[in-house]
Amino acid sequence: MMLLLGLVLGTAFGAALQLSGASSHTKVTRALRLKDLTIIKLIVTAIGVGLIGVHLLDLSGWANMKVKDLFLPGMIVAGLIFGVGFAVSGYCPGTALVAAAEGKPDAWVTVLGGMFGALVFAFMFPDLETMLLSLGEYGPVTIHGLLGIQGAILAFPLGGLCLWLAARLPGSGGAR
Amino acid sequence: MTHDTLALHGTGHKDTNPVLGWWAGGVAIGVVLILAVALVQPIGVSTQYVVLDGVLLHNVLPDVASKSPYLAKTAAGWTLATYEFFFVLGIPLGALLAAMATSRFSTRVVPSEWSTRFGSNPGHRLVWSFVGGFLLLFGARFGGGCTSGHMISGVSQLAVSSLVFSVALFASAIVTARWMYGDRGKR
Repeated sequence: MMLLLGLVLGTAFGAALQLSGASSHTKVTRALRLKDLTIIKLIVTAIGVGLIGVHLLDLSGWANMKVKDLFLPGMIVAGLIFGVGFAVSGYCPGTALVAAAEGKPDAWVTVLGGMFGALVFAFMFPDLETMLLSLGEYGPVTIHGLLGIQGAILAFPLGGLCLWLAARLPGSGGAR
Repeated sequence: MTHDTLALHGTGHKDTNPVLGWWAGGVAIGVVLILAVALVQPIGVSTQYVVLDGVLLHNVLPDVASKSPYLAKTAAGWTLATYEFFFVLGIPLGALLAAMATSRFSTRVVPSEWSTRFGSNPGHRLVWSFVGGFLLLFGARFGGGCTSGHMISGVSQLAVSSLVFSVALFASAIVTARWMYGDRGKR
């Protein structure tokens, strides 16, 4: 039952990514060069809907939250490495799977490179953990937790701001 | 200027351009997240690359697989029959169905932005795709999440780690992309 639910939600996610062009190397690299912000608008809309929806659930006590631990220097280094991979491949770990299903051979190779990168990380982990990850561990902190307020107080206006921003940002600029 | 022409296989289709507007796509992704948070947990993808590695390695070389505590812990029980893995399995399935429904398949090896800057050598593109994939998953596992887990799920929960990761990600991706695919030396 849980497997089926996972498959159904994943299928909806994959279809949404495919239909909105998130698996297009052209769309992604043009977004990162700030030439065509369609993909940025897509992500900001998803976050805006997510902020409001997730915190509505939280208010009603139905949310299964899972906040990731903060490691301060490590998290920055990780994001920087990921960003280079994102620009070079034009995919993220999820959209590489989407692009692979569309038949794009470079995405297949990105998935293989990803499996290799994940494997290397798995075997380097004990050393990396002592080196960087343990340097400033703060646990699963949230902004509202730090401020000591209810998440929805921040999430609703921020979600609205995201949706407003998504609407206001320029799109493909007549390049269609 | 560049146009979205296919670099190698001119099937008449443009790359795989959106058929859904950014708002419809964004709302759809947001709704998947909300359903996932209501029914199970926030969404995530990159952990499952480790799980697949672990299960494959455990089948071939069980001793080597068990040597990595990270692998053993992440691929708990060396099984793929989990909600999390089936969610990730659904992604290419949904993409395949969507591509079939809209006949937007593409077998081009070299994307147009790449060939404009680096030429249409497929081997060159494939080598760098591998390197890109390596960096993606190395970075994602280092940070404990990727675009799904950190940017969409994490930021929606107002997680500080996810905001830090996302800001660093975009800063580095924008600098890299502008440098790599920039207009310098363009023909």
